[in-house]
Amino acid sequence: MSQVQTGLSRSKVKKSYMKQRSFHTGTTYFFLLLLSCFTIIPFIWTVSISFKGVNDPIFSMPPQIIPGHFTLENYAEVWQTIPIFHYFLNSVVLTIFGVILPLILCSVAAFPLARMKFKGRNFIFILILSTMMIPPEVTMIPVYLIIYKLGLIGTFAGVIIPGALSPLGVFLMRQAFLNIPREIEESAIIDGANVWQVFWRIMLPMVKPMLGTLAILSFIAAWNNFLWPLLVLQDQGMYPLTVGLYKLQGTFVTNTRLVAAGALIALAPIIIVFISLQKYFMEAAYSSSVKG
Amino acid sequence: MYRPRHPVMFLFVPLLLLLVFTLLPGIAALGLSFTDYNVLQPAKWVGFANYIHALSDPKFWRSLLNTVYYWILVTPILVVFPIFVAVLANQKVKGIRVFRLVFYFPVLVSIVVTAILWRWMFNVDGIINFVLSIFGINQIQWLSDPHWVIPSLAIVTIWQGFGYYSLFYLAGLQSIPKDLYEAAELDGAGFFKKQFHITIPMLRPIIFFVAVISTLGAFKEFTLMLTMTDGGPLGASTTVVLMVFKEAFQNLQMGYASAISFILFFIILILTLVNQKLIDRNPEG
Repeated sequence: MSQVQTGLSRSKVKKSYMKQRSFHTGTTYFFLLLLSCFTIIPFIWTVSISFKGVNDPIFSMPPQIIPGHFTLENYAEVWQTIPIFHYFLNSVVLTIFGVILPLILCSVAAFPLARMKFKGRNFIFILILSTMMIPPEVTMIPVYLIIYKLGLIGTFAGVIIPGALSPLGVFLMRQAFLNIPREIEESAIIDGANVWQVFWRIMLPMVKPMLGTLAILSFIAAWNNFLWPLLVLQDQGMYPLTVGLYKLQGTFVTNTRLVAAGALIALAPIIIVFISLQKYFMEAAYSSSVKG
Repeated sequence: MYRPRHPVMFLFVPLLLLLVFTLLPGIAALGLSFTDYNVLQPAKWVGFANYIHALSDPKFWRSLLNTVYYWILVTPILVVFPIFVAVLANQKVKGIRVFRLVFYFPVLVSIVVTAILWRWMFNVDGIINFVLSIFGINQIQWLSDPHWVIPSLAIVTIWQGFGYYSLFYLAGLQSIPKDLYEAAELDGAGFFKKQFHITIPMLRPIIFFVAVISTLGAFKEFTLMLTMTDGGPLGASTTVVLMVFKEAFQNLQMGYASAISFILFFIILILTLVNQKLIDRNPEG
């Protein structure tokens, strides 16, 4: 039917379509803003609480969003009364290792799986992928017991090492290595480069975008890691922010303002990294979701 | 050009880690579930006693019921609602990229911070009750009322996940050929007709995928409960995995906890197989 339309009715259709579009823009924005409110209000509320003075009510009807007595006191106090700076540093150390180790391990594992021909290659690759099916809630207890037997309870190593080899990371890195043309490594080998040099100097620089993706995914996982530090670390001085805040909730229930300030200190690095790397973040999200 | 020893050099450490921290624990968990083990004393073989105990433990059934209730609330909403979000986020209006970032952001927030944010939202004098009071709805004791605690947790999960899932749908929407919509417009189809006759059928594989992923997520969730309610009030928000966690690390019943985790694993396996059957029956899916 559409093929026999006259020019006149076609333009009519177009006009009504245009009208419909402008109507939609209004409703589109309405729903977009409504959803944004749903997403953002919990954050705004926490920011508001963290700046509230001692005499400002935290909970009231109607809620007071803009602090009556704006103060930075809560941030100073959370800094002094709890070792939040210490927690912060611990989070940073755990995150640095939690990003670097998967990058190294996943690319080292993926390189031979993508570029070398050897017996059992497909078997090993499928084995690695199939471990994604082993549910973490089932292995949680034995992993804890193995960390315990290895004497890693109470150490950062016990937090970082168990999750360092991510099967998804191996998969993504292998995909990246597969896309490199053969000639490049061949010419390097003819020039006398050994296998480590080929890997380190030639191949790794060519998969930088995927390394970036993996770094972002690992960063989020490491910074937010909660369960393993909670289980493995015993000394309060070694807590990262997540565990520190979790324990803080219990002890400082009365001082909501301090908890709010602490939560925002934990949130800040994620927001900063997210805003500055937003393009790469969305790509990382796509590759982990669509390909995973 | 590569020698036989090269793959070994590269793969040795990664495979060792895989063996020690994934494969071995998978097998060990099964063995552990047939023992009585509290870390301090050597493990004692007890056969199926842990499984029998679990199936006659009202606490286990309660936690399974809680988990299923949570799943029923969370998964349908996380399957359907993000489709609308994706359609919205796919509109070519100014600033749409910023909106996409905003919707996606909650998934990056750690569970501990999420729990802190939402405990205040759900406070009796918090914002949610205030908004409800505008519509004349009385105060709800969200987190301290056993009837409301699971729905409250479901709201948090939806808040955290809808942007993430709409990303899958957005990728799907962008792969639908534009001429399908243009042809429908020429045939006089309106906005909703187009969504129902083009968007939804074209997204069907992703709908199934999201259903599977969010089901797995719902059955495994426990850190949200641990941080927000600690399973309370009176066990009303203790999910199966939270029970596993507490039995293992608070009561040191490692064997019993492993058995429960395996029962859950079988339930998830059956659900996945049923879902797979459903997909197979739909050749387009």
